[in-house]
Amino acid sequence: MGLLEESLDDNVLTTKVDWLLNWARLNSIWPMTFGLACCAIEMMAVGAAHHDLDRFGAGAFRASPRQADLMIVAGTVNYKMGERVKRLYDQMPFPKYVIAMGACATGGGPYFKYGYNVMKGVDRIIPVDVYIAGCPPRPEALLEGLMKLQQKIKRTPVIRRPAHTI
Amino acid sequence: MELQAIHDTLTAAGVAGLLGCDEPRPSNKKEKDQGRSGLPFLMVDPAGIVPLLTACRDMPLLRFDLLIDLTAADPAADGEDLWVLIQLLSLKHRHRLAIKACLPKSALSMPSATAVYRAADWHERECSEMFGITFEGHPDPRKILLPDDWDGYPLRKDYEFPTEYHGISCE
Repeated sequence: MGLLEESLDDNVLTTKVDWLLNWARLNSIWPMTFGLACCAIEMMAVGAAHHDLDRFGAGAFRASPRQADLMIVAGTVNYKMGERVKRLYDQMPFPKYVIAMGACATGGGPYFKYGYNVMKGVDRIIPVDVYIAGCPPRPEALLEGLMKLQQKIKRTPVIRRPAHTI
Repeated sequence: MELQAIHDTLTAAGVAGLLGCDEPRPSNKKEKDQGRSGLPFLMVDPAGIVPLLTACRDMPLLRFDLLIDLTAADPAADGEDLWVLIQLLSLKHRHRLAIKACLPKSALSMPSATAVYRAADWHERECSEMFGITFEGHPDPRKILLPDDWDGYPLRKDYEFPTEYHGISCE
């Protein structure tokens, strides 16, 4: 039980704090600077002026996993890179989120059958929150994925349940 | 200079290991009609590749100063040979040369071209990890693209895909 819940009646204010924290979180999802293949070009387009990821508070691409909240896996993950991706994910602080962008990161994409070196989906090594279809997805699709993630964060209980159980 | 003239120039200079000229088979009628099946090439003995490339680089009539490509191919799973394919370009004379050397799968070893063309370094590293060819005398024979502990040679026709890598399922 948190301090707030002990000093106040149940429910009303606790829900408000949840809402407040989630509101702060979902409007400042800082992604990690991290592109693996052609999807990264679309991701850069989303970050640039025309589509403007900053409208969602998610335009601050961090160069270090320790400052990032969101990992956008933008591109083909092969086994050699997969181990690095796992390490970068482990270095991110909680709460952390993963978007698998495009067909390759979702399930191997065009390399599913003959890509001897390509991981058949990044969810084999790290938990994924949102999958985005497309090869590569259009910038609007990535924005849609980000909004889906924001909806997910909005529903997350914070005070009543520790965030790291997400 | 055309391929036959290059071949004759090399023969006249006493370069050993030339096995004649050939041209790629067009894979369909359209390619055949348009003549787009590729450069005619020189067949050579892989054991004599170093003197051959040295002559191609140094002879004033040839002056192939760039190694454009060095790669390999596995034409058939039940075939006996791998092909090593080399492309040279002369900026001075504006001509090209394609070279093909057949290596038997039972003895995949040939001399390294790095002493003649430094550009062959990474190309040969890729060939050796993808096809299992050993280039004798290579200065740095590590893997270049694959992880160090990778088993097998992925671009061979008889390659069997891994079922797991470091505990990650590949199915």
